[in-house]
Amino acid sequence: MPAARRPPRVAASRPVLRVGRFVSLPVSSRGVAVAAIALLVLLAVSVATLTAGRLGLPLAGLLPALVSDPGSAEGFVLSRLRAPRLVVGIAAGAALGVSGALFQTVTRNPLGSPDVIGIGIGAGAGAAAFGLLWPGIVPLPVGALIGAGVAIGLVWIGTGRGFSSPSRVILTGIGVSAMGAAFVQYGIARAGREEATVLAAYLSGSLASRSWQDAAIIWSSLVLLLPLALLLGTRLRLIEMGDETADALGARSNTTRVLSIVIAVGLSAAAVSVAGPVAFVALAAPQVAKRLARAPGAAIVLSAVVGAVMLCVADLLVQQAPFGVQLPVGVITAAVGGVYLGYLLISEFKKGTM
Amino acid sequence: MAAARPGGSSGRGPARTSRLWAGLLVAAGVLVVVALLSLSVGSKAIPLPEVWSSLVNPGTGYSDVVVASRIPRTILGVLVGAALAVSGVIMQGLTRNPLGDPGLLGVNVGAAASIVTAAAFFGAGSLATSVWVALPGAFLAVVVVFLIGSAGRGSNLVRLVLAGAVVTAVIAAYIQAVTLSLPDVFDSYRYWVVGSLAGRDPALALQIAPFIVVGLLLAVWIAPALNAVALGDETATALGVNTVTVRLIGAVATTVLCAAATAAVGPIGFVGLAVPHIVRGFTGPDHRWLVAYSALLGPVLLLVADVVGRAIVSPQELMVGVVTAFIGAPVLLVVVRRMRGAA
Amino acid sequence: MASILAAHGLRLAYGDRVVVDDLSIRIPDGGFTVIVGPNACGKSTLLKALARTIKPAAGEVLLGGVSIHSSRSKAVARRLAMLPQSPITPDTVTVRDLVGRGRFPHQGMLNQWSRSDEAAVAEALIATSTDGLADRLVAELSGGQRQRAWIAMVLAQQTELLLLDEPTTFLDIAHQYDVLELCARLHEAGRTLVVVLHDLTQAARYASNLVVMHDGRIVAEGPPREVLTAELVAGVFGLPCRVIDDPETGTPLVVPLSRARLSGRAPAPRAAS
Repeated sequence: MPAARRPPRVAASRPVLRVGRFVSLPVSSRGVAVAAIALLVLLAVSVATLTAGRLGLPLAGLLPALVSDPGSAEGFVLSRLRAPRLVVGIAAGAALGVSGALFQTVTRNPLGSPDVIGIGIGAGAGAAAFGLLWPGIVPLPVGALIGAGVAIGLVWIGTGRGFSSPSRVILTGIGVSAMGAAFVQYGIARAGREEATVLAAYLSGSLASRSWQDAAIIWSSLVLLLPLALLLGTRLRLIEMGDETADALGARSNTTRVLSIVIAVGLSAAAVSVAGPVAFVALAAPQVAKRLARAPGAAIVLSAVVGAVMLCVADLLVQQAPFGVQLPVGVITAAVGGVYLGYLLISEFKKGTM
Repeated sequence: MAAARPGGSSGRGPARTSRLWAGLLVAAGVLVVVALLSLSVGSKAIPLPEVWSSLVNPGTGYSDVVVASRIPRTILGVLVGAALAVSGVIMQGLTRNPLGDPGLLGVNVGAAASIVTAAAFFGAGSLATSVWVALPGAFLAVVVVFLIGSAGRGSNLVRLVLAGAVVTAVIAAYIQAVTLSLPDVFDSYRYWVVGSLAGRDPALALQIAPFIVVGLLLAVWIAPALNAVALGDETATALGVNTVTVRLIGAVATTVLCAAATAAVGPIGFVGLAVPHIVRGFTGPDHRWLVAYSALLGPVLLLVADVVGRAIVSPQELMVGVVTAFIGAPVLLVVVRRMRGAA
Repeated sequence: MASILAAHGLRLAYGDRVVVDDLSIRIPDGGFTVIVGPNACGKSTLLKALARTIKPAAGEVLLGGVSIHSSRSKAVARRLAMLPQSPITPDTVTVRDLVGRGRFPHQGMLNQWSRSDEAAVAEALIATSTDGLADRLVAELSGGQRQRAWIAMVLAQQTELLLLDEPTTFLDIAHQYDVLELCARLHEAGRTLVVVLHDLTQAARYASNLVVMHDGRIVAEGPPREVLTAELVAGVFGLPCRVIDDPETGTPLVVPLSRARLSGRAPAPRAAS
C-alpha cells in the first residue's frame, strides 16, 4: 500500500457560509428559498386577515392604521379585534409546528405528534378540571398546562421504556387520550349549558378574543424555546440513524431525546394554553415542511413558518367564511389536516416505510 | 382440516375442556349475581332478598317499583356488554393483535356522527337513537379506516390504529361543527356522548336485541375460522379458510354489534379491549371459548362499572362510559408495557 | 504489546440477565482483532461495551488508560468509531450526506462544515469505492453498496480504532469478501480493527488476533493458527470438525465432519498436516 498522500483540495459539495477558519455553516439553498416563499405567503395571509370582510381595513389605510390612535375605529379593529388574534395565531402555529417536528424526529415516526400522544386532550382535561370542576385554584392556562403534563407523564410511565419505542408511545398515547376524552366529556355533561358550550369550543382550539397578554405568553415562549430547538438540530439528524450510531458518534441520544421532548412539550403547552388544543397543525406542518425542503433532518425553521401559515389560513377561513356561527379554528384544522393526514398515511403505507 | 381443537396451551384435552365448561357455568352464575346487584344498588338501595322476591312475586310496593325501574337498565347492560365484548374478540382475531378494540377504529364515532346528522338535518333536534340511523355512519367509518390501514402491503395494528385516529378526528371535527352550530343538538349530544345506561327508553332494549343477536350469531359462526386466521393469512388459506370472507363477515358483525350498542347507550370504550384480554388468560387463544366467555363476562364488566358509577358518588351517578374508560385505559397501558419484542 | 483499548473485570447485563461476567481484554494496537463465538455468547455485547454505548454494571473500559465513560462522548468519538449491526437508514439521505454525518465529532457549533470535513468525506468515499454513488439515496442502494456507504461514514470519522459489529450479515458472499478486503486494507494502512464475525473461516483468514467467546467468557485468544483447533471448535460450537490449511491463504479452514464419518461408516481423518 502506498504511504498516505496529502488529500487533494476538494471543491465544496454544498454551499457553505465561511468566515475565516472558525466559522463554517452549511446552508441549503433550497431550504432558504422555500422558507422565503413561505414567509411571503405568511405576510400575504396576515394582510388578508387584517383587510378582509366588513370590518376589514382598506389596504391603503393599513399602514396609517398601524400607527394610529387605538381610540379611532380603525385602531380599534386593529388593536383589539384582529391584530392580537393574528399575532397569537402566528406564534401558536409556529410553536405547534416546531413541537411536532421535534416529536416526530425523536419518536422516529412521522405520526408521533403531540396530538396523537395526548398533550392536547390532556390540556383539555386540565381545562375541564380547573375551569369547571374545581374552578379558582389555578388560572385556566396553568390548569391546561398541568393536564398536559399529566398526560405526558402517563405516556412515559405507560410505555415502560420511556419514549424510545415509537409504536409503544403511539399506542399508549391513544390510551391516555381516551381517558382524557372521557374525563372531558364528563365535564361537559355535568356543566351548565353555557359553560359546556364554552368548554366544547375551547377543546377545538380557538383564536377568538385573544388578547395582547396571550400574545406575550406565546411569543416569549417561542423566542425562548425556538433557538434551543435549533441548537439540537444536528444531534437530531444523528438520532434518525438509530441510538447506537448516534451514541457512537458522540451525540448522546438519551440526553438529546429528553431535551427535545422537554422543549416540544413546552412549546405545545404554551400554544395550547393560549389557543386551546388545536388539532393537527403539529402533525401536518412538519410533514409539509419536510416534503418542501426535500432534506433529511428536522427542518425546524420551515416547520415553524408552515405551522404559522396553516393556523393563520384556517383562522382566516373561520373569520370570513359564511358559516353563520363562527366555528373554532380547530374544526377547520382537524377537517383539512385529517384529510391530508389520511393521504399521507396511505402513501407511507404504500411505500412500506411503516 | 378441522379447526384447532379447544385444547388450549396445556395440551391435556379432556381435562381442560371440562374445566372450561365448568368455568362457563361459573361465569353465568356470576352474571346472574351481578345482574341482581344492578337491581339492588342505587340512590335507594334495595337489599337482595327483597330484589329476589320482587322479581318472583311482582307487586306494587315501593321496592317493587324501584326494582322494576332498574330492570330495563340491567337488560340493556347485559345486551350492550355482550355486544361490545364479543366485537372486541372479533376485532382482535381479525387484526391478530390483543390490542384490538372497535372503538379505536372509529366505529363509535361514526355511529355518533350519523345520529347527530339525523338529529340536525332530519330530526326535531333531539337525538333519535334508532339503530338504523347509527349503522350507516358506523359502516362508513370502518370502511374508510380499513381502506387507509390496508393500503400497500399488509396491515398491522399500529397502522389501523393510526388510520382510526385520523378518521376519528375528522369525524369528530364534523360532529363539533354541527353541534356547535345548533345549540339544541349540542345539549342532547353532550349528555348522550358520555355513554350511560341511565335514563334510556325501556323499549330500546327490545329494539337493539335483534341486531345484537344477529351479531353474536355471526361471531359464533366465524369463531373457528378466526382460529385459523390467527396463524397467518397464508396458513389459514392453506387450511381452507377464505380470509377475505372471514374479514368481511367479521367487519360486518363487529360494526353491527357496536352500532347497536352505541345507538342505545352512547359510545362506550374499552370493554371490547379489556374483556377478551382478561378472558384469554383463562381460556387460551381458542376463539370459540373466547366468544362464549366474553358474551358472559362483558355484561359483568359493564354492569359492575355501572354499579360502581352509582355507588361512588351516590346519590348522584357517574356515567358508565367514564368508569369504563378509567378502568380500561390502564388495562391497555399494562398490556402495552408487557408487549414483548415488537418495537 | 501496547493497548490503547482495554477492559478489566467487565460485568455486562441487560436488566437482570447477566451476559458477561468478570471479563478482561486488551486490544493489540495496529491489530485486526476478530471476536467469534456461538449465538448469545456476548460478543456483540462486549463490542458495544468497548464502544461505550453500553454502560458496564461492574469493571471499566479504558481508552488510553482513562476510563472511557469519564471522557466526553465526542472526544471518545474522535478516537474510536463503531458501526452497529443494524443501523437505521433515514429515507431521504444521500450517500454523501450520510458520510458527512460521520464528521460530527470534529464539528463545533459554529464550525459545521470545514475544509477538513470536506476532505475527509472525499477520502472516505474513494477508499470505499462509493464516490460514484455519492449523490444517490442510501435507501435505494443494494445491500452491499449500503454497507460500504456506512463503512465510509465510519471512516470519515478518521479514528485510529474501528469497531464493526457483524458487518457481513445480510450480504451475499461476494460482498462479504468485499467488505472484509476493505477492512484488511484499512488494517494495512495502520488502523486498529475490532470486528465481530460469525463465520470462523473468514475470521481465521483475516484476523491477526482471534478472540473466542463462550457463555460470556473468553475461552481462547491469540493468532488464529494457535487458537483455532478442532477440539476448540467442537467444545465451543458443538461442531465435530477437522481443521486444515486453507489452500488459498494457508490460514485455518474449518471443515465439519460428515455424517458418514461420525457414524463410523468412514475412517477417521488423518491428522492435519
